[in-house]
Amino acid sequence: MNGRRSPVSSAVLVVAFVSILASGVGEARSQDAPQAAVKATVEKAPGQAILAAPRTARERTSIYVLLAWLWLSIAVLLWLLRLRVREADRVFHMGLDRVPEKTAQDP
Amino acid sequence: MNAIRAWMKERLGIGAVTGFLAKKEIPRHKHTFLYYTGSLILLFLVIQIVTGVLLAVYYRPTLAEANASIARIMTEIPLGWFVRSVHSWSSTFMIAFVLVHLLGIAFTKAYRKPREASWLTGVLLLGVSLAFGFTGYLLPWDELSLSATKVGTNLPKAIPIVGPWLSHLLRAGEDVTGDTLSRFFVFHVTVLPLAILAFLCVHLFLVQRHGMSIPLKEERKQRKIPSLPFWPNFVFREAGIWLVLVGLLLTVAVIFAPGLGPQADLMAPAPEGVQPEWYFLFMFQTLKLFPARILGLNGELVAVLFMAAGLIMVFLLPFIDNRPFLKKGKVITALAWAAFAYTVVMSIWSLL
Repeated sequence: MNGRRSPVSSAVLVVAFVSILASGVGEARSQDAPQAAVKATVEKAPGQAILAAPRTARERTSIYVLLAWLWLSIAVLLWLLRLRVREADRVFHMGLDRVPEKTAQDP
Repeated sequence: MNAIRAWMKERLGIGAVTGFLAKKEIPRHKHTFLYYTGSLILLFLVIQIVTGVLLAVYYRPTLAEANASIARIMTEIPLGWFVRSVHSWSSTFMIAFVLVHLLGIAFTKAYRKPREASWLTGVLLLGVSLAFGFTGYLLPWDELSLSATKVGTNLPKAIPIVGPWLSHLLRAGEDVTGDTLSRFFVFHVTVLPLAILAFLCVHLFLVQRHGMSIPLKEERKQRKIPSLPFWPNFVFREAGIWLVLVGLLLTVAVIFAPGLGPQADLMAPAPEGVQPEWYFLFMFQTLKLFPARILGLNGELVAVLFMAAGLIMVFLLPFIDNRPFLKKGKVITALAWAAFAYTVVMSIWSLL
């Protein structure tokens, strides 16, 4: 690590942070009026379209936290992959990946 | 570990495959990004198979239960709405990458000799992907999906002689009914997956047999094109792109999860704002633009023939432009750009 943070990882961190905050806001609202929040999402008039979304505050929180963790994991994996790519490229440019051809002296 | 590896090599004979992949090299030039689109299509196909199996566990393909079973998946099954959303969005991502892949090949003239069969199987794969989208759109059995399917299955009727028979075959009758739903479901989960796997195997075999195509511009420079080992250099890069796109897919699936409309009523009039999936919008708009009569002919028939001629030209492109690989193809490039612009403009127009 050279101590500098790339723009991509910074952006990922910001997204993750905002996602965690956003999920907290949703949960806080439902804690203020838990019954009203659940009823508003579950009860639907017959014939009305069903919206796809996390239905309870718990599910909403878990899905956004999961998304935040997902992007953090992706950022870490991308950093690890970048190291592996650099190493693989270095080995390739140095020709260390090529198997030396057998000569007449070889057994 | 070594013993397991040796056992697998001996019993499964995978030594030949791993040996081939170890020696495989990927050309490096400014269009190398196009090589990633093929594996991305495979990635989204696998995601669709996994989520599709999960959805099929709870889905009921009958007139009475189809819409209710989707409603149950979305409201009662834990994260059911999310699995459905990932399934729907991965199909969108897959078709988008299939189109990018196809356009890339058309622009770089990679369909020319000896890769004609790769192009043919690729176009067939596009057709199967679109058929997946078309059959899958009806399965929620809501008002919009019923109306869009009625429009879609009515189109072949305009074709003389075989048209009515084709429409009857698609609908399993004169109109879209519960039998159509069952038929579309069977096609969606058995016939089309088998077809896509068969075409995919042939396509992948041909791609490996003829190697990666190098764009005409690079080939004409008459210099040795640098390459990159497939393993591990290319695979690690590819894995990075896979990770970002999986993250993007899951994020989009959470934020823009598709809803479910009211249950379809066979007797009800078509609702307002009927639209097919985004990849059929340009055809939808083309149909709307054609007048009822053109030179005494049925306007719908002319529109269907116009689109059919375009599709046949795309399919037979390697035989229409069968010049040697190193010859320029400015006309084909211009036509490909024109087709791309037409599709984009018509799709946007349809949404306005």
